Amino acid sequence: MKRRAPKAISKAKAAGPKPAPDALIDPKVLHELVELFQAAGVSDLEVERNGLRVRLRREEPGSSASVREVTVPVSDTARASSPSEGLAAAQAGEGLVTVTSPIVGVFYRSASPENDPYVEEGSYVKKGQVLCIVEAMKLMNEIESEMDGRVIKLLVENAKPVEYGEPLFLIDPMAGPEG
Amino acid sequence: MFKKILIANRGEIAVRVIRACKELGVRSVAVHSEADANALHVRLADEALCIGPPDAALSYRNIPHILSAAEITACEAIHPGYGFLAENAHFAEVCESIGIKFIGPTSHSIALMGDKSKAREILSRQGLPVLPGSEGEIASEQEAAEVASKIGYPVIIKASAGGGGRGMRVVNKEEELAHAFQTARAEAAATFGDQGVYVERYFLEPRHIEVQILADERGRTISLGERDCSVQRRYQKLIEETPSPAVDDRLRRELGRVAVEIAQAVRYRNAGTVEFLLDKDHRFFFMEMNTRIQVEHPITEEVTGIDLVKEQIRIAAGQPLSVKQQDVKINGHSFECRINAECPDKFTPCPGRITRFHAPGGPGIRVDTAIETGCEIPSHYDSLIAKLIVHGRSREEAMARMRRALEECVVEGVKTTIPLHRRIFEDPDFQKGRFSTAFLERFCAVYPT
Repeated sequence: MKRRAPKAISKAKAAGPKPAPDALIDPKVLHELVELFQAAGVSDLEVERNGLRVRLRREEPGSSASVREVTVPVSDTARASSPSEGLAAAQAGEGLVTVTSPIVGVFYRSASPENDPYVEEGSYVKKGQVLCIVEAMKLMNEIESEMDGRVIKLLVENAKPVEYGEPLFLIDPMAGPEG
Repeated sequence: MFKKILIANRGEIAVRVIRACKELGVRSVAVHSEADANALHVRLADEALCIGPPDAALSYRNIPHILSAAEITACEAIHPGYGFLAENAHFAEVCESIGIKFIGPTSHSIALMGDKSKAREILSRQGLPVLPGSEGEIASEQEAAEVASKIGYPVIIKASAGGGGRGMRVVNKEEELAHAFQTARAEAAATFGDQGVYVERYFLEPRHIEVQILADERGRTISLGERDCSVQRRYQKLIEETPSPAVDDRLRRELGRVAVEIAQAVRYRNAGTVEFLLDKDHRFFFMEMNTRIQVEHPITEEVTGIDLVKEQIRIAAGQPLSVKQQDVKINGHSFECRINAECPDKFTPCPGRITRFHAPGGPGIRVDTAIETGCEIPSHYDSLIAKLIVHGRSREEAMARMRRALEECVVEGVKTTIPLHRRIFEDPDFQKGRFSTAFLERFCAVYPT
């Protein structure tokens, strides 16, 4: 079977609200957000606008705020093609949750062969964090976690085809960020 | 020839296509919804992939998932079967654009024949026999009234995007026209998202006669005899037979010639069916063309000895037709009874678990099915569970075989159309071949279950 290396995330044009033209957020806006975040004294702040999502989170109480991630525009096509708007997650044994593939495609652990995998066994993930990519018809569909928790097991090898509903990860939602 | 093809369907037709693949030495990939994980087509295919939840819109009609499945399994072609995506011009077009061969006609032919008023217009301009009616769509009640008075009542108003009996209104006299026109348009808009309608002469008791055609990629086109599908209720066929008791050799040649001309007029490729209405005076008129393999294709296979599904795959692979028109011989007589999981009196679907299934056998009997004892009939899909096909040297022998097959056939756990079939095969009018599309409704009214 012919396999392509994962490419950059596609910016699919689809009906509905248009994503921002660029993946990068205006630094001025970001600066204002950080100031607002610090002044408010909250531990977690998430802003989503025009397909751009920014999450700010305090690592430990008292420490300074850190920009955790700037998410690229959410692909509307990917959303439309996934039946349950995100992940189909089923309860596995002993409180573990199975993350299943919402689409038919090819499973990739990283954005490109040069990049590090999104997650490893043992990684702690936050809700909305990208776990992997499933490529379907040359579209890179980011699969996000639907919960906070620890990745207990990776069930599919990189670059392997996956079918609809195929288990991809086991996540322990009860595990904390430590240890 | 292709090395591997994907079957974008389920049930008996998916099994039928897999069988053709096996005989051709082509590997098959089945796709299935979560409701069909243990289905027969999944087990018979060389590979299988789950493509979505039970809802067909998210699985068997899910174009991105099906194409992705074809891509990751490296399939060169897709057989759409019937229903689902079989007559979806967009799907055929996407397949064409990404280099996966759609086993069927071009997206252009599908789109053209899918627009019923446009097809009428094109064929009528070429002097082919369409039903008397409007040229193209009609825009107003006045226009409808003008056309109707010219062709004479009763008339039928049909949706351009329609088919299968939906979006139709019969009008017996002018007073009813305005109301029928408005409701047909509203129904067409609601059902098909397109309010276009056209007007045709309505025949009271016609026969539904259709002609099977095959055309290779070079445009060589042949006809394979007719099928009489007059035994239907609400445009759902129940029993088909070939040859038709109402068609003699001369009419058969004429029907075949016209069907081939119609196919060539739209540069048709692969297997297709041209449907005609045959009136009491043996005049026939084009109704529509089905741009796919049909449910009732096996009866044509029985009398011609030609495997239509293998022929479809060969044609799609670029091979010329394996038979010439003069070599097509109609041998004996064949019937098909559609065994549906439904209440025979009201024709309402009856899903459930098959607690026992025994297929009939012996000389001249063929059963195309995907059911087995213990299997579940999901409520998400078509109610057709088996096709009982018989072949005999004469119509009498074929009828006797069908009566025997219906007696042997056991389906327990769900209600089926088998008891109704048994009664129809005892009916004197049916036995004499005297019936029209009005037969079944009248029969059910006289013999309630």
